[in-house]
Amino acid sequence: MSDETMSARDVIMQRLKEKKSPQEGAYPLPPVVTLGEQDASPERFEVSLALMGGKMLPLQEGEGIEQAIKRVFPEMRNLCTAVPEVKGTLRIEELETHEQADKVDVMVVRAAFGVAETGGVFLSEVELKDHLADVHLAQHLIVLLSKDELVGNMHNAYQERSEFRTAGYGVLMSGPSATADIQGVLIRGAQGVRSLSVIWA
Amino acid sequence: MSNKPVPHAKLAAEFLKDEPHRHFHDERLWDMRQKRDEQMHIMPEWQELREQASRLKEHTLAHLPQYLEQFEENARRNGIHVHWARDGAEHNRIVEKILRDHGHSSIIKSKSMITDECEMREYLEPKGISVTETDLGERIQQLDNQLPSHVVVPAVQKLTSDVAKTFAKYYNTDPNIDDPHALAEAQRNAARPVLLSGDTGMTGGNFLVAETGSFVVCTNEGNADLSANLPNLHIATLGIERLVPRMADLGVFIRLLSRSALGSPITQYTTHFRKPKKGGEMHVILVDNGRSERLGMDDFWTSLKCIRCGACMNTCPVYRRSGGQSYGSVYSGPIGAIIDPTFNAKKFSTLPFASTMNGSCTNVCPVKIDIHDQLYKWRRVLAERHEIPFVKREIMKMAGRLLAQPTMYRLAISGTEVALKTMPRFVLYNYLNPWGKHRELPHPVKETFHSWYKKNRLNKAKQHEETQA
Repeated sequence: MSDETMSARDVIMQRLKEKKSPQEGAYPLPPVVTLGEQDASPERFEVSLALMGGKMLPLQEGEGIEQAIKRVFPEMRNLCTAVPEVKGTLRIEELETHEQADKVDVMVVRAAFGVAETGGVFLSEVELKDHLADVHLAQHLIVLLSKDELVGNMHNAYQERSEFRTAGYGVLMSGPSATADIQGVLIRGAQGVRSLSVIWA
Repeated sequence: MSNKPVPHAKLAAEFLKDEPHRHFHDERLWDMRQKRDEQMHIMPEWQELREQASRLKEHTLAHLPQYLEQFEENARRNGIHVHWARDGAEHNRIVEKILRDHGHSSIIKSKSMITDECEMREYLEPKGISVTETDLGERIQQLDNQLPSHVVVPAVQKLTSDVAKTFAKYYNTDPNIDDPHALAEAQRNAARPVLLSGDTGMTGGNFLVAETGSFVVCTNEGNADLSANLPNLHIATLGIERLVPRMADLGVFIRLLSRSALGSPITQYTTHFRKPKKGGEMHVILVDNGRSERLGMDDFWTSLKCIRCGACMNTCPVYRRSGGQSYGSVYSGPIGAIIDPTFNAKKFSTLPFASTMNGSCTNVCPVKIDIHDQLYKWRRVLAERHEIPFVKREIMKMAGRLLAQPTMYRLAISGTEVALKTMPRFVLYNYLNPWGKHRELPHPVKETFHSWYKKNRLNKAKQHEETQA
């Protein structure tokens, strides 16, 4: 670290300590709260996911996961997989360049957990096998999620899930990428995945 | 930076000239406000959440040095390089140095208000470092060489046809596209190769967590997760006020942020960065740029609680009908009007007057900043510092003297009634009366409340007292 950054740090710290208007004793740390609905049911998750533009992909009678994906994406050429349940056309670990990932039509991953309040699914370097950007380059995303790995709301998520303290990169994806930057029109499928579907598995 | 006061009213009048733009802007922002209300109404705990968010922010700001130290220590332990910048210029030099040390020259960037505040693009681009905004709204603003209009939806003042023209110029698309989907697709197609070839990723951040040394980025388009993760070098810039003490505190803020902003339960991406990716390098730049000074201002330090949701902008009748560009600043709307003068009291002296004082901004603020009170207090400060125009100042002084003396006031009122009835328009509506520029003066009344009261009640009250006695 250079002297210059040392001094900037010290100057800022000194300014804060000397000038700060709010006094420490007057503002005690509020206890952690858990407010609102804490229902962690799959039904609530499904409703929230739909609100965020995500979809459920229910398996048909006697159908496997890979078959279901092929049914929904019949035109798909590259199916990249990060889960043992799906064979796909290539494994996520086999992606050598981002350009390769850019050509992936459908990516399958397993989420560590889901949040019923928001329909969010949590992905980290563990689930993504360190391919952090590649999951976002794929055109469509299929997420496997266990009904046993649901938390009620965001208070529950941050208090109960250890992943927030262990993951280097952890994203809660709630539906696919979206934008409403042009004349307020909501567009699902902006720059990241165009669709996000969840399979209970 | 020019010191000339931003002519807010004049710029607003220009924006209002075009009816389709005026109408859309007003409706779009009000729609966001209504969607926010829908979320609020289905959550009985809403007010409790706001109270908790406010108290957490106040506590953190009162203990800021200690939490900054804690954040720095934990972030370093996680392998993040932590830098400190006293102001925008220092921030920009740090970014430049990081890039030079790596031999890099192209930044792919997700939306962050603070790099705009630091005028980073203006500094880096002449030095041969390209900066590409990858957020759609921010990219539109960059191509048009304009400041963001809104903290959440940067190009909200534009219509589809405006974007079509801009994209035609830079992306070679059809200038007559009238479908936003086609334009968003054009942005996706134009951004991909730039994202794939960028050597440095930059993001802002919504929260710093002292307990874990993490930072959190809340976005919708997916461009931030691409910008941060594609290159091996990730630089994140955040203001020093962005701290929360504990990971568990995020629950409160994440539940409020997007609901207050857009009326959606959460942003599509809520991303937590705690350490560099495998083989990557991560830098966090903590920027002061006037924040420590603001924390020392008794009347204004709570503006540092702001989580940049934009709810105060969406609800403000003045903002909705003047457009973000009229504020001449990175931060517009009510929140801009109370923080901009801390950057430059002269230049932004007009902004605290861009308010009707209806208090709606304060009522919707998820962290309970007393925005309209601070607008009022800024007016006082600016008047004391002689930062308001001569006519407004002198008229206020006269009004002050008049209002302080009941006899004089009543005499003046009866005079005004006569004047309103009898004087020709050019006497009543001139440069000494900017209020009358876009408004009609009130109709003269036959009788004031005071004279009516004197006639009908005062004597009766006296009689009543006498009979009681």
